[in-house]
Amino acid sequence: MKTVRIIALRQDRKRLLEHLQDSALVQIKSSEKSRRGFTRVNVSPQMQVFERNVDLTQQALKILDNAKPEKAGMLASFKGRREIDPDEIGVIAANAKEVIEACSRIVELDKECSDNSAEQIRIKTQLAQLESWNRLDIPLNTGDTKSTAVFIGSLPEQYSEQRLKEALAAENPKLEFETEIIYSEPNLTNAVIFAPKSQKTMADEALRALGFARPMSPTHKIPKVKAQRLRDQSQRLLRENEQAQQEIASFADMRDKIKCTQDYFRFRSDKYRVINSLDHSKHVFIIEGYIPEEDCEKLETLCTRVATCVVEFGEAGDNAPVKLKNNKFAEPAQGILTMYAAPGATDIDPSPVLAFFFYFFFGMMFSDAGYGILMVIATGLMIKLFKPDKKMRNNLKLFQFCGVSTTIWGLIFGSIFGDAPAALYNMFTGSNVVMAHSISNMSDPTPALLPWPVIDPQKDALTLMIISIAFGLVHILVGMGCKFIVCIKQKDYPGAFFDTGLWMLMLIGFAVLAAGLITTPVLITVGAVIAVACAVGLVLTQGRGKKGIVGKAIGGLASLYSITSYISDLLSYSRLLALGLTTGVMAQVFNMLATMMGTNVLGIVFMIVIFLLGHVINIGLNALGAYVHTMRLQYVEMFSKFYEGGGKEFEPFSLNSKYIKIQEDK
Amino acid sequence: MFDNGIFFTILGAAIATVLAGIGSAKGVGSAAQTSMGVLSEDSSMFGKMLVLTLLPGTQGLYGFIVGFLILVSSGVLSGTPNVTLVQGFAYAGASLAIGFGGLFSGIAQGKAAVSGIAMTAKDEKNFSKGMVSVTLVEIYALLAFIVSLLVVIQVSNFAA
Repeated sequence: MKTVRIIALRQDRKRLLEHLQDSALVQIKSSEKSRRGFTRVNVSPQMQVFERNVDLTQQALKILDNAKPEKAGMLASFKGRREIDPDEIGVIAANAKEVIEACSRIVELDKECSDNSAEQIRIKTQLAQLESWNRLDIPLNTGDTKSTAVFIGSLPEQYSEQRLKEALAAENPKLEFETEIIYSEPNLTNAVIFAPKSQKTMADEALRALGFARPMSPTHKIPKVKAQRLRDQSQRLLRENEQAQQEIASFADMRDKIKCTQDYFRFRSDKYRVINSLDHSKHVFIIEGYIPEEDCEKLETLCTRVATCVVEFGEAGDNAPVKLKNNKFAEPAQGILTMYAAPGATDIDPSPVLAFFFYFFFGMMFSDAGYGILMVIATGLMIKLFKPDKKMRNNLKLFQFCGVSTTIWGLIFGSIFGDAPAALYNMFTGSNVVMAHSISNMSDPTPALLPWPVIDPQKDALTLMIISIAFGLVHILVGMGCKFIVCIKQKDYPGAFFDTGLWMLMLIGFAVLAAGLITTPVLITVGAVIAVACAVGLVLTQGRGKKGIVGKAIGGLASLYSITSYISDLLSYSRLLALGLTTGVMAQVFNMLATMMGTNVLGIVFMIVIFLLGHVINIGLNALGAYVHTMRLQYVEMFSKFYEGGGKEFEPFSLNSKYIKIQEDK
Repeated sequence: MFDNGIFFTILGAAIATVLAGIGSAKGVGSAAQTSMGVLSEDSSMFGKMLVLTLLPGTQGLYGFIVGFLILVSSGVLSGTPNVTLVQGFAYAGASLAIGFGGLFSGIAQGKAAVSGIAMTAKDEKNFSKGMVSVTLVEIYALLAFIVSLLVVIQVSNFAA
């Protein structure tokens, strides 16, 4: 990574920035303040307009999706962005105004709809309130006449006319009145009470004592008429909503255009954000940023071609972003790496190692030739048919490599859709064959389909566990090897040889010792000697940071305790056996169920259904398991040995789009 | 009942499958509840939620496999069971490892998965960290599984 500084004339700003954005070569560094003698240009207002347009189109698309969902296949998410010709951008820009107007209209209509819906709810509650006044044939807000006070309202109790009269009389025996019950239900009575105007205050007090309340929204219309009007209004709103929805749906054809326009405004707002952070003087402006070393020349020719400018390169410091660059084999694993963390300043890029072990362990855990071939074909087809974007394509490639490894391990374990070939053969011929002979039982007389001996995880579980842990040892040693290289690179020789090298040797010593237990006793001695020598070495060197002889001795001895962490790391690899076995056994169970019903027509239909269903379930469950556990082995067991992470990814100033991809000039 | 080991063999298969299954069911159940809460807010995270929800499901699978292997190697599945009492006890004993290992690790992993889901809901970038942390619990189910497995595949070689 290099730093770059481009000083160019202001008049070339637009052209230069456009070309930089197209070429995606430079990550632009933005600082808070301008340097002395330079000022910032404020283009925020324009930028905000663009951003608002992006928001608007997003809203419009969302509304469109609700009104008229886009027909999308299940696999649509794999699809790459649509490629468009560079010239098309001009067309999009020319149409932008029209599209934005359409979007505004869509958003406006949607707002109308939601306003209407809110109004509908209001009407509904009003109607519900009026319901109980239905029998009243005077307006709710009828006032007093010349001689009579009129009280229209509700009481919080159920009264019959008789009981209401009694209650009022009990409150104030002197009161003269007439009542009419309009509606009554438990805890509610709507009533009209008439009293002589001279007794209005008295009647008011008596009624208040009973909890009388006037209606919330009195109208000057008779309740029945009012209700009818509300219903009409509600009908009208409903129709309006329907029309609005139809109009929204009529914009559905514009969806593609809206998407393009959204990206167009995204490009422009990105560009203006960059302009905002550039230092300008009266005639020139300065761009500062990072660029990968191999692109320096390209940038220089580009800049001098499109603008009058000076391009300077410098050494990037520790804060520089990282651009991972790997060959086709390791590139898919970069996604797994960055999911953990991008490499920090002192890290080496572990992608190749990661890639190899990822494929290897995934294959060992998924371990079925049938599933592996399916993976290779499925991912291959997807890449071919959907032309996915780089990130998705890398993910698919990752699984393609995993598929290859899965196939190989499937053949080693003698598993093709579990024991499907043997199970089907036995089902139709009634004979008794097995998939293959396991290495521990070569003399088995039953005929086998596969001519080579296999490691059968069920019969050779112990062997496979030892193999798994041996692979684990290799994996850990490779991780420590990386640490060793990192230390050497940083000229931390004690760290390389004492902290890492001795432990590596010690683990190798133990491995030799363990191998000796199975084979010849000579190896036991060799291994033991190595291990003890390393242990002595560790005790002597690990306390070197401490003060005083005692401190050094204790530090050295204490360091030996980390052997426990290595043991638990190694045991962790037994999952290679466990998950490998799981795939095989599950597949076997489904095959057994499938072939249960015999060879009649019904049995064969049953077989096909169970076979498909069972293996789909098995693939789903075990691919997930293999993926998750492989990742864990990388992150926890290997990365903990050497990988610091904490770097930033290189994010160049580019045409950062969601829907469209500009074709590169060919 | 004690003439041969069939009863204990089947008991063993049942213990392995049922106890580990309970662990997974509880774990996946609580994880699924949480993830549905997250999905009600943002349905685009379905894939990630699914992964985290399914993680505590492996215990049940291990239990089932041990149960299945017991049934196969004892001959119960082929209809010709041939187990001595000692072998029956051995099967039952072996099944305890994955039974209880799966039961408790499943529940514990479910709790971890719930936290992982909450963490991922806050920031999707935390997904891989959450996932790895949740699998840390799994090793104990795995160890139990391997112990059960190593015994089960050797039982048929046991003398009466």
